[in-house]
Amino acid sequence: MTEMVKTRIVVADDDQDILDLVVFKLTQAGYDAVPVSDGVAALAAIEADLPRLAILDVMMPGLSGMDVLRKVRANEATKDLDVILLTARARDSDLDTGFATGASDYVIKPFSPRELMHRVNAVLARDTR
Amino acid sequence: MTLNQVLPIALTVIGFSVASTLAVIAVAKTRRGRGSVRSRSLLAPYRNALIAMASGEDEDGQAKDTLYAVPAPTWVRLRPNVLAFLPKVRGTSADDLRELMRFHGEIDRAKRMLTSRSAVRRAHAAYLLGLARDRFSSPLLLPLLNDPDADVRLVAARALGVIGEPLAASGILGALDGPDPDRRVPPGLPARALGVVPVRCADPDQRRRGGEVHLDDASVDDLAPVAGADDPAGRDDAGARWRDLGAILLASVLENLGYRQATAWWRLEGWAASLVGRKQVWGTMTRQGFGDESPAVAALSGDVPGVALSGDVRVPALRRHA
Repeated sequence: MTEMVKTRIVVADDDQDILDLVVFKLTQAGYDAVPVSDGVAALAAIEADLPRLAILDVMMPGLSGMDVLRKVRANEATKDLDVILLTARARDSDLDTGFATGASDYVIKPFSPRELMHRVNAVLARDTR
Repeated sequence: MTLNQVLPIALTVIGFSVASTLAVIAVAKTRRGRGSVRSRSLLAPYRNALIAMASGEDEDGQAKDTLYAVPAPTWVRLRPNVLAFLPKVRGTSADDLRELMRFHGEIDRAKRMLTSRSAVRRAHAAYLLGLARDRFSSPLLLPLLNDPDADVRLVAARALGVIGEPLAASGILGALDGPDPDRRVPPGLPARALGVVPVRCADPDQRRRGGEVHLDDASVDDLAPVAGADDPAGRDDAGARWRDLGAILLASVLENLGYRQATAWWRLEGWAASLVGRKQVWGTMTRQGFGDESPAVAALSGDVPGVALSGDVRVPALRRHA
């Protein structure tokens, strides 16, 4: 019997509550969630695991989510990775910067976990069309 | 008595005092560590239920049953965890957490605390009612816009803003343009924090007539740590007060072992130095200043009017305590 391979998603947030919550939600939805709590660990996990998607907080110790996104886009192996930014930065200019840097989607905190899941599913579905 | 006879006695007393002080510190640290582990293990079963509720993954109602059945003493410890989750989520997840708070009597307790003599308690209560989006508390929050404490006025306005009662809008604008300049909420950062996007218009009357007022949750929640700051004055827990009293009494006893001897010794050294005419040289003292003060705190205290508050600025603690 072949075991179905779960879609791997790296989740990076220095807020333990949000990290636990997003990982719980993704796991319940059948994804393989890899939790990390800073930007450096996020980049290492992305380069090591080559996930389908990364959900990054913007303000993190070490490397910011935006820095991680830039490095991901600059790396040939990871440049096509889908990245959702999950952040409290809610200004239009922040959204502009996020999308200009290459984010696939942008979710503003406080967030609805249900909405986040819809966005995760939508971003992943985009690639399979 | 010669110096050779006094010195061993003095060294023994000092050694004993230092050793006993170190022992007390070590015991206190160990107890604190054990208390933290005990608290974590006590809350562990509820943590999963809380995450399930906050994530909206509680279709069978199991997490709800678990959290509603939390006994009162455990709720006191679990409560900060619920309060920590609430500003981070919205939608049905946040609604479920608010109902949980209401079930455990947090709303009624907060309403009673609005009239507390402690400004920290009043601010905390106003913050909590804002978090709970309790519409019925708007009439109770409005008088706090004229509170003598600036922090309380700010947090009350924030709470009214996020509750979103129509009557709150005029109250907040009144606080911006109130007759008493000392109690008027200044524009700039505090206005953003109030949930009011200031209209670029110098005339207050015109601003009232044509001013566009809307609620800006993302910016007002930046002030959450101001009201949510853990402060001993805000504790309801009678047990915590007795523990604090016990710690103070213990400290008053323990200061006789070591601290008093050390200060007596330093005093003796000072007298000896003055007798032999030895002068104390301080050397070069470099001024350090307060350069690392958070811009948000500086702006709150009125030093930097109009500083824009970005989404990730964090206000570390209440500016002052009642």
